[in-house]
Amino acid sequence: MARIELDAVTKQFPDGTTAVRALDLAVGDGELLVLVGPSGCGKTTALRMIAGLEEVTSGTISIDGRPVNDLEPRHRDIAMVFQSYALYPHLSVYDNMAFSLKYRGGVSKAQIRQRVADAARILELEPYLERKPRQLSGGQRQRVAMGRAIVRQPRAFLMDEPLSNLDAKLRVQMRAEIAQLQRSLGTTTIYVTHDQIEAMTLGSRVAVISGGVLQQVASPQELYRRPANLFVAGFIGSPPMNLIDARLERAGEAADGAPVAAFGPHRLRVPQEVIREHPALEQHVGGDIVLGIRPEHLHDAALIPAGTSWPVIELPIRLREELGSEVHLHAAIGSAAHVSEDGSADDVRSLATIVAKADPRTKIAEGETAAIAVDASEVQFFDRATGASIRR
Amino acid sequence: MTTSRATAQLPQRNTMRLRGKITTAALLLTMVIVAVVMLYPFWYIVDNAFRGQGQYDRQSGHSLGGWRQLFANLPVGGQLLNSTVVCVAAIAIILIVSTTAGFAFAKLRYRGSGLVFLLVVSALMVPLQSILFPEFVNLSNVHLTSSYAGAVLVYAALGTPFATFLMATYYRGISDELIEAAVIDGLGYERTFLQIAIPLSLPAIATVTVLQFIQIWDDLLVGLFFLPTNQRTITAGLATLSTGRTTSVPSLMAGSLISAIPAIIVYLIFQRHLVKGLTLGMGK
Repeated sequence: MARIELDAVTKQFPDGTTAVRALDLAVGDGELLVLVGPSGCGKTTALRMIAGLEEVTSGTISIDGRPVNDLEPRHRDIAMVFQSYALYPHLSVYDNMAFSLKYRGGVSKAQIRQRVADAARILELEPYLERKPRQLSGGQRQRVAMGRAIVRQPRAFLMDEPLSNLDAKLRVQMRAEIAQLQRSLGTTTIYVTHDQIEAMTLGSRVAVISGGVLQQVASPQELYRRPANLFVAGFIGSPPMNLIDARLERAGEAADGAPVAAFGPHRLRVPQEVIREHPALEQHVGGDIVLGIRPEHLHDAALIPAGTSWPVIELPIRLREELGSEVHLHAAIGSAAHVSEDGSADDVRSLATIVAKADPRTKIAEGETAAIAVDASEVQFFDRATGASIRR
Repeated sequence: MTTSRATAQLPQRNTMRLRGKITTAALLLTMVIVAVVMLYPFWYIVDNAFRGQGQYDRQSGHSLGGWRQLFANLPVGGQLLNSTVVCVAAIAIILIVSTTAGFAFAKLRYRGSGLVFLLVVSALMVPLQSILFPEFVNLSNVHLTSSYAGAVLVYAALGTPFATFLMATYYRGISDELIEAAVIDGLGYERTFLQIAIPLSLPAIATVTVLQFIQIWDDLLVGLFFLPTNQRTITAGLATLSTGRTTSVPSLMAGSLISAIPAIIVYLIFQRHLVKGLTLGMGK
């Protein structure tokens, strides 16, 4: 077990590409930290630097307080599970799992047999020990890759998208198995994935990376409920958070003097309790902001509990999607959608529509204009210039 | 409407069937002609190897006359041994150089490796005949033309560029993650090469071995130039049979048969690996 720290770690490739910029990260002893981000964001490069497979351009990587920048991979005492599993095709399952112990030395043959047997039992690989990797299914190969890491009893596991080659059903099963295994072994683990559901379900903490820059490190709930910026807000959650360009105005009609977020023909009153939670909002009155509303915080006004005083906006419904346990309503907001910094905007946003995750009992149909209640206490606010969340 | 369309399609289908049959027949005929052209020389060798000179002239009857004449005029056993020594030594050098260099070009990135690889591969374009005299002068200067060493070095130098190209291509097909997994598992690059890369590249090694064996075993020019008379290879020895005033075709055929057998045996043993080695490493 180990504590892994990255201090202002930067990786620049010879062609000038900066894959990771000044990354500060601390992974606690026994913790499972997930690095998540879109393809090419630098998460795998960061993992490879920790493994020693990539040189660090600047900054320091420490394991248990000892800088390891110049330490060869074999001397870092960490095990890595690769996306392709990287099993040695000419060796049996047993030999694959015992490989590292055999060549590292210091472990007797009897101990090697014992450790491989223990790992095989935990991973239910006992019947396959004599087989070659090509004779195994994808899930079994993944288990062998895990077994190869486990038998070494390393200080830390590094996992680079180990489930991405599996089908959806097996992925869910293996995800749970990895989580259980990590908890029972208590080995410090850094897990890289581009799948936000995998990240949210596995990690005790999740680090979101974009463009080589760390965006936020927090617990899954914190990431979801209080995204630090527009990138995290749009990346975490499915369907993604609705991001709407709006103007924060001091409206005369609000009896309590609360500001109003105006977008298109709509005016959304910001309740006083929200202002209290986001005191910095006062400084943005009269300015441009981005509203962030999770789809589950938009409700069919006809179905909201009596006594709730959520503001209601009238929206034309363009599409109704039945998902069984919920209904997704795509509604036009009548204003420009928020376009992210890199110019990308997904289909829903570019069409200036928002998605509401409504109760399956809703009677709202396509083509009609529906009353949609907004749970204003859950609305997020972002500075349109910096993209940062507006809080204190 | 449907019926008339179906009726119209019938003659068209028959024409297509007929065209398919003609194509198959033409293909079969071509293959038979090619097979005859390729196999006839073998038949000619086998048939005439078992004749005496008179039987050869009359083209009737078989005997071991040709074989007796061959063994009387040529130290066949010694020359087969010479061929084997030269082949084994040259192939050993080629394999050591090409596997290490191929692995380095494919898996170890260093400044200028692409250029060096290009230079090595460009040596493929240099014909043997153009470097024969300069090489002879070079090797004479260091007194290496009076033993196996000269021929072995020349064969190794000629075979290494292609073998390196083949090995590098093969190693590029091996996932980088596999090599990295071994490095993380505690092996240095040297042991990763020996424990992972070499076992995985056995098909490519077999391919290089077979191709080089056939090429070196059958080569005449280098054997004649760089080897002293008492260390001549079987191919060079056979060539001397036809340099006299009269050439005994049956003994030449017998010698050719003996000479061809090892190459055929090596090819048959490694044939499966040869095909695998030539196709693997070229992608999925």
